[in-house]
Amino acid sequence: MKMPLDEVLMIVALGAYVVSALALLVYFFSREEWLRHLAIPLAIAGCVAQFAQLLARYEITGIWPLLNLYGSLSLFAAVSVAIFIIFAFRYNLWFAGGFVIGLAAIFLAYGVTWNEGTMPAVPSLQSYWAKIHVPLVVSSYAAFMVSFVISVLYLVKYYVGGTTGGLAYQTPQGTRAGAWFDAIPSLAQLDILIYRVVAVGLPLLTLGIITGAMWAHESWGAYWQWDPKETAALFSWIIYAMYMHLHTRNAWRGVRCAWVSAIGFLSIMFCYFGVNLWISGLHSYKI
Amino acid sequence: MFVRSLYGDFTRTFSNVLFAVVLFLIWGVLTLIGVIVDQGKDPAIYFQSYAAPLARLIIRLGFDNIYHSPYYVGIIGLILLSLAVCTFKRVIPARLPPLRAVTIDKIPLHATVTVPGNPESVRERVERFFSSRGWQIRKKEFGGTEWTFADKHNWARRGVLVAHAGFTIIAAGTTLYWAKGFSGDAAIVTGQTVSIPRTHAALRLDHFSYTIKPIVTKSGMIYQPIDYVSRVTATGRDGVAQAATIRVNHPLNIDGTLYYQSSYGFAVRLGVTHDGVRAPGLSDRTYLSGDTLTLPGTERSVTLAQFIPTVDRQTGQPSADPRVNDPAIDLQVFDGGQPAGEALVPMKSWIDVGGGWRITPQRYFLVSGLQYRYDPGVALVGIGAFVLLAGLVISFYFLPARLFIRVERAPAGATVGVAAMTVKGYDIFEAQFAQLVGQFAEAT
Ligand code: HEM
Repeated sequence: MKMPLDEVLMIVALGAYVVSALALLVYFFSREEWLRHLAIPLAIAGCVAQFAQLLARYEITGIWPLLNLYGSLSLFAAVSVAIFIIFAFRYNLWFAGGFVIGLAAIFLAYGVTWNEGTMPAVPSLQSYWAKIHVPLVVSSYAAFMVSFVISVLYLVKYYVGGTTGGLAYQTPQGTRAGAWFDAIPSLAQLDILIYRVVAVGLPLLTLGIITGAMWAHESWGAYWQWDPKETAALFSWIIYAMYMHLHTRNAWRGVRCAWVSAIGFLSIMFCYFGVNLWISGLHSYKI
Repeated sequence: MFVRSLYGDFTRTFSNVLFAVVLFLIWGVLTLIGVIVDQGKDPAIYFQSYAAPLARLIIRLGFDNIYHSPYYVGIIGLILLSLAVCTFKRVIPARLPPLRAVTIDKIPLHATVTVPGNPESVRERVERFFSSRGWQIRKKEFGGTEWTFADKHNWARRGVLVAHAGFTIIAAGTTLYWAKGFSGDAAIVTGQTVSIPRTHAALRLDHFSYTIKPIVTKSGMIYQPIDYVSRVTATGRDGVAQAATIRVNHPLNIDGTLYYQSSYGFAVRLGVTHDGVRAPGLSDRTYLSGDTLTLPGTERSVTLAQFIPTVDRQTGQPSADPRVNDPAIDLQVFDGGQPAGEALVPMKSWIDVGGGWRITPQRYFLVSGLQYRYDPGVALVGIGAFVLLAGLVISFYFLPARLFIRVERAPAGATVGVAAMTVKGYDIFEAQFAQLVGQFAEAT
């Protein structure tokens, strides 16, 4: 049997991510430039293949693949890689690429296990809002995934003892564990990078919640129903609002903010999976 | 004196960002409790799901309805109070730092560039360079030295104010709903009219239809609802009856109250006879699931437990198919309040319930479940949300920064000392500052 185009593209994307992530992981430790030159086009190719896959799936089924974990995880992986690539080009963030693209590959592979074939949507989900709300929310999650990776690198650098580093990525001196972390940007610069990525995620999450409320206003009769998914998203929003306020204080920038940002992403994961899989509600689209 | 110091403590605490963060933390924890603990359920459900002491605690503390609890409303009230105090004490008074002479080397972001030319012409070049990049230039003399000050995005200091105002507007909108809004449910049987409480509206359900599609998935057959449509005749305040359609995602607006398609069900007309004689009062009604009829002169009552759209022909049991193929009703009989029996009765067939009483499900009708809501705060909440979003974008993407520039005569031209400050510290501007100084050095 011939494999449908969308599945071929999915395999291409997954393969490209895996190789790109491995190359960037080795690059993180070895600083061999050729690895980076190999990984960048692969990451871009994987990302393009993913968007093409989403389009192909729409062409084949006539339904935007957004309303189940298969579709949304695929979009999540695609957008997180896209956001990462943009930031990496702008702020020379390639050192974090192995982790970001690796995570994206894992989420994508997990999403594939949710491929149940095509299902027409239940009436409340048959709305143009699906095409606005879902990509916004998923993109905010994707941005928070990138900020999570940088936060974890911050925390490792902070605790493992890498104390130096400037604006960009350098060659590590010596072989002790902290050396790799010495070579990535300084803690202060990592802190700013986290802030810049949260600055993408938080407005997207806010807009995602707003468009969700607009959709609910149209379909459920109230813009806010205190449904578990909504409230879990509000919980994440509150954590990032805390982050944002802490970051206005000199003394609280840095390690404390990095912790809050890392916890923020865990709350996003809870909102994304925990609510869908363990807690049911109007929003839960588990079949 | 005491009152004044108390007031001082209050404004100091409530305008402190860390205090706001603590309030956010409490708000977050309360929100999370509501995600984890099912909301608005019957107390028995909590005893089923949790150990008894925990269930008792949940109910006693009101965690079963946390979002409307005094704590929840209270914490949002405190956040608003803190927001108000901080807005007047900190955010509004925050102004441009004064134009002053600084020790350039003492400011962490600083650079010195030597360029050819005399100080006057260099000052002019400095001015041209920065103003062409969107910096607003001002000059002032201190102790005989002329300083140039360049500011960018100073207006964006107001982003915080905008975000805070947005949150306040949302809170005002939700309060308006609490004060003046209402909502409710209406189940309308086909052919019947209901008047909606607190409005002047009446709705007659002319026709209801639904589409369900059986789909074979990996985990078995799924009956996926595709569409629900209610055709109604709606009469509003003006007394004019108009035909309208309500379907999911397409609510109907009558005088500002919105009507939503929310569910559907079935009603049944029962034929009730006693010793072969029709009982008029009982037979002329339509019964919804859960409705009970009491047989006159007996201790017996009969409850319509459920309408079953399709009975499996082979097993005689209800099937999962929600489409009406072989309909039946599930009747429960009670004697003196105690269950006395239960039976599945196919449409048009009858069942003897004792004492000469016989019940025949004669016809079924579709019922449309509507939800209605009057919310005068929606527009405010919507505006507030976008104002909040605008505040976030302004705060995140427009960094107010100030450059302090001093040009001095040097043996081979002039030295230009530049120092930078932003409202978000120095690190955030480090890369941009280096780039700016590099470009300046190159340009001159
Ligand atoms: C949910 C409500 C709130 C929202 C949406 C909100 C939003 C914001 C935003 C967007 C910023 C700018 C952050 C940045 O530039 O990185 C900010 C800063 C700030 N917020 Fe809030 N805020 C809220 C509640 C509060 C409360 C309750 C206080 C009370 C103390 C507060 C005090 C401040 C202060 C002092 C700043 C920093 C000003 C500065 O030094 O730049 N906020 N807020």
